[in-house]
Amino acid sequence: MAVAPLGTRAAPTSATAGPPANLPGDRERDRDRDRIARRDRRGRRVVALTPAMLLIPATAVLLVIIGWPLVQLLVISFQEFGRAQVFGAPAPFVGFDNYADVLGDATFWEVLGRSILFAAANVILAMGLGTLVALLMTRLARALRLLVSVGLLLAWAMPALTAVVVWGWMFDTQFGVINYLLSQLPGVDMIGHSWLIDPLSFFGVATVIITWQSVPFVAFTIYAGLTQVPTEVLEAAQLDGANGFARFRFIVFPYLKSIFLVVTILQVIWDMRVFTQIYALQGIGGIREQTSTIGVYIYQVSVGSGDFAAGGAIAVILVVIMMAISAYYVRASIKEEQL
Amino acid sequence: MTPALVRRRVSTVVLSAIAIVVFVASVFPVYWMLNSSFLPNNAIRGPVPHFWPDEFTLRNYETVLGDGGRAPFLPALMTSLTVTLITVAAALLLAFLAALAVTRFRFTGRRSFIIAILLIQMIPGEAMIVSTFRVLDGWQLLNTIAGLTIVYVATVLPFTIWTLRGFVGGVPIELEEAAMIDGCTRMQAFRRVTFPLLAPGLVATGVFAFIQAWNEFLLALVIMQRPDMMTLPVWLRTFQQATQTTNWAAIMAGSTLMAIPVIIFFLIVQGRMTSGLVAGAVKG
Amino acid sequence: MRKISIVAFGAAVALALAGCAAAEPAGSDGEAEGAEIRVWLVGADTPQEARDYLKETFEDENPGSTLVIEEQAWGGLVDKLTTALSGSDSPDVVEVGNTQAAAFTTAGAFLDITDEYDALGGDDLLPGFVEAGSVGDAFFAAPYYSGARVVFYDTALYEELGLEVPTTLDEYIANGQAIAEAKPGVSGIYFPGQDWYNALPYIWENGGDIATLDGDEWVPALSTDGSIAGLEMVQEVMTTASVAPKDGNEAEAQVPYCAGQIGHLSAPSWFKWSILAPADAEAPGCPEREASLGVFALPGLDGGPAQVFAGGSNIAVSANSANPELAKKALAIMLSDEYQSILGGAGLVPALTSLGDTVGTDATAQAIAQAASNAKLTPASPAWAEVEASGVLQDFFVKIAQGGDVADLAAETDARIAEILNP
Repeated sequence: MAVAPLGTRAAPTSATAGPPANLPGDRERDRDRDRIARRDRRGRRVVALTPAMLLIPATAVLLVIIGWPLVQLLVISFQEFGRAQVFGAPAPFVGFDNYADVLGDATFWEVLGRSILFAAANVILAMGLGTLVALLMTRLARALRLLVSVGLLLAWAMPALTAVVVWGWMFDTQFGVINYLLSQLPGVDMIGHSWLIDPLSFFGVATVIITWQSVPFVAFTIYAGLTQVPTEVLEAAQLDGANGFARFRFIVFPYLKSIFLVVTILQVIWDMRVFTQIYALQGIGGIREQTSTIGVYIYQVSVGSGDFAAGGAIAVILVVIMMAISAYYVRASIKEEQL
Repeated sequence: MTPALVRRRVSTVVLSAIAIVVFVASVFPVYWMLNSSFLPNNAIRGPVPHFWPDEFTLRNYETVLGDGGRAPFLPALMTSLTVTLITVAAALLLAFLAALAVTRFRFTGRRSFIIAILLIQMIPGEAMIVSTFRVLDGWQLLNTIAGLTIVYVATVLPFTIWTLRGFVGGVPIELEEAAMIDGCTRMQAFRRVTFPLLAPGLVATGVFAFIQAWNEFLLALVIMQRPDMMTLPVWLRTFQQATQTTNWAAIMAGSTLMAIPVIIFFLIVQGRMTSGLVAGAVKG
Repeated sequence: MRKISIVAFGAAVALALAGCAAAEPAGSDGEAEGAEIRVWLVGADTPQEARDYLKETFEDENPGSTLVIEEQAWGGLVDKLTTALSGSDSPDVVEVGNTQAAAFTTAGAFLDITDEYDALGGDDLLPGFVEAGSVGDAFFAAPYYSGARVVFYDTALYEELGLEVPTTLDEYIANGQAIAEAKPGVSGIYFPGQDWYNALPYIWENGGDIATLDGDEWVPALSTDGSIAGLEMVQEVMTTASVAPKDGNEAEAQVPYCAGQIGHLSAPSWFKWSILAPADAEAPGCPEREASLGVFALPGLDGGPAQVFAGGSNIAVSANSANPELAKKALAIMLSDEYQSILGGAGLVPALTSLGDTVGTDATAQAIAQAASNAKLTPASPAWAEVEASGVLQDFFVKIAQGGDVADLAAETDARIAEILNP
């Protein structure tokens, strides 16, 4: 893979930049790294220990708070583990029974398919709209750009639960402002229309909420990246007669490729794992069975129905699937950084 | 006017219009939350919505903040603030050290560490609730700030390390070396040169840690079960369910109060982010 | 390098210290002197007077100890109890819905209080609730209160339309439809889709059930002829007499009632106080409509009170309580005559049958007594709580409200219920 020509020195300078990605990089940096390490080796004896010392605090926290429960989760997924076991009953091992049950359960596959579709739709929407908004921001006058930034910032700053509550109120069947506004259109009567009862419409509302909250992150991050694209190159391309789309496709996009990649993978992870929005929205209306995504389903199976073993098995299966989905990204990063 | 000029004018107008649409779409829910929070509960349940708080009242805020409420707001605010701020500070520190390790050194296990960091983010937390609960219980950390904080630090760490890694990697080591040649010790060089360059990265990463810790709902629900140890998201939900008789106006007031600290944090941080890097690089 | 690790260590210590310092005020008062007993009450059903009485009496009787009431929400209660009761910082006394009690009694979450049975009231305790709180001969969760559903109705609408108080279920439905027809936008019978408790009487009155026990196997019964007949009535009511949200729940029904959008409303007896709450209350009601607020017990298919759902709560001591003796004392206060009379005065059916008349003698009280006389419980399976928590019944009735095919939906739901009840 070609080394992306992004200005590596600069982390995004603009307002509320997102992560700059693993600013790609860089043979140059690798050389730096080696040089420093060598000199340290000459200079100080402790240097071999250094990375370990730096990593110990983070690793310790992760091992204890994530690692240990994770081991327990794995163990549980091979046991019979229900509410009685939570209160101390012995938990017999049952081999792969839980996995067989989960994989043989049509509901699981439905939920999984639904989650993947939902995540895909949300990622595409958020990336598309976010990129458009970022491009828009580069072409706006200062005052308008500030206005848009402030608006995005407000949407982004809204806590997820608050956002669901507020949107739920706006989509309220009886008193919601959206039904009222739509009913003002000639020939439309939406008063009393329930937005959450139909699963497709439920996910429409969920998509609106999640997109509303993810676009700012995407837009800010990509805008930060866009400001790094050298204007001379763009101007030259314009002089050569490249239209807007071509300029984006052949100049901007390659520059920002790694940023797109990171933002996309983050959106995938977040949207696949979405919990709060769906869980809270189900509390407002809708049919749970037809609207659960995988996170909510795991919660319902394990904590709601008390079948922690099945919940564990689903979680393990999900991680395997996510790994498969993101394998491309991991491979790309590994190549790029010669990990 | 030349056709080119006309075209540019038109496109400016169109772009401005789009910008305003984006602005309104982003802001309207926030406005609607504020608007509803300043109206009496019976007013917002009429057949025609009130588009501005023409029956202005602070009663909803009194309801939320008053002692009469079944779920007190202020202790929840304090808990949330404490947990979130410590989480941000601790996560940034730990993540920064780890990021230094993986960007500035090559060592066995480095690759595994980075891959592990990515994989951890894919584990659905909902499944681990009971295990996490038991681990904390074993250390008598249930219903404590320390307990929730350490869980949050672990939750945000993978992402913060992942992000900071990019920022740390982006700071050229030559600057630091140059400072050392000028007579700075390694620590001094780091403090005066590298750290200012990293500030925006730390801020951006901190924002994420803040949002995640501030918004987290499920772990807080399970770990902080005493009402006096509730965090704000749990409070908001309890408040919503408290009497089975929902008071949308008061809920909007509560939502507003919950959103305000985040907005303030964002506003503070935004200024820092714009200034940081460029100035640092020039001086360095 | 040592420096860095010291920094890290210092940060960890600072983190821990800061955490402890901030956490301290939570338990600081009281714990130093005596024990603190935490009582979980669910929802707003327990009146404030009873809460005050419990706290004062307990603290008088046990000097140095304190009692803290922590109010929990009904939504997600089972989830929360599952974790909370299993931890070392468990609440001491917990209220749990009568239909949810079995999930915890069989799991060993509650302390065995068989020895206290007689002291708590013995055979005077509500029998169905004692059963719900027992496993075999062991007694784990005492009855707390019961609350049958009664029908509130708008007498002004009755007068205007010349309706008579119904004596059979069919008349009731006909009245509801008459109101809905005469008044567009008004629910003759307010019946949101998720309100499955209110659907049970229709099923039971037609001879159906949710599930029946055959040996040690639960046989789902929603597809039986009786149940289907009842479900079709439910669908008829939901589609012809109700304009309530098809996917809504029964919460906050006082709002449409106060807006004049409800003819009949079947709700727990204490719901009267939500309707009559002052207009400036946190959840405002409409006290000015008291004069036109009528109440009757839901009539059965053949007259007399219908079999309605016997809602209510059990109360138990956590097996992980740090102070089980004190917790039992608190439990005893909650089942004392004085305390239960306060509950009776608030429109709840007391746990002690001998106190039945404390509910009063007015029309509401009579309706409550009539409804309670024929009240019925959901299947007494330890897994029943999971049926409720899974939301399968809510989903089922939402689809019925949407006009789905009753037989198909019933068969589908039967399969899911059977799966949960017979793991």
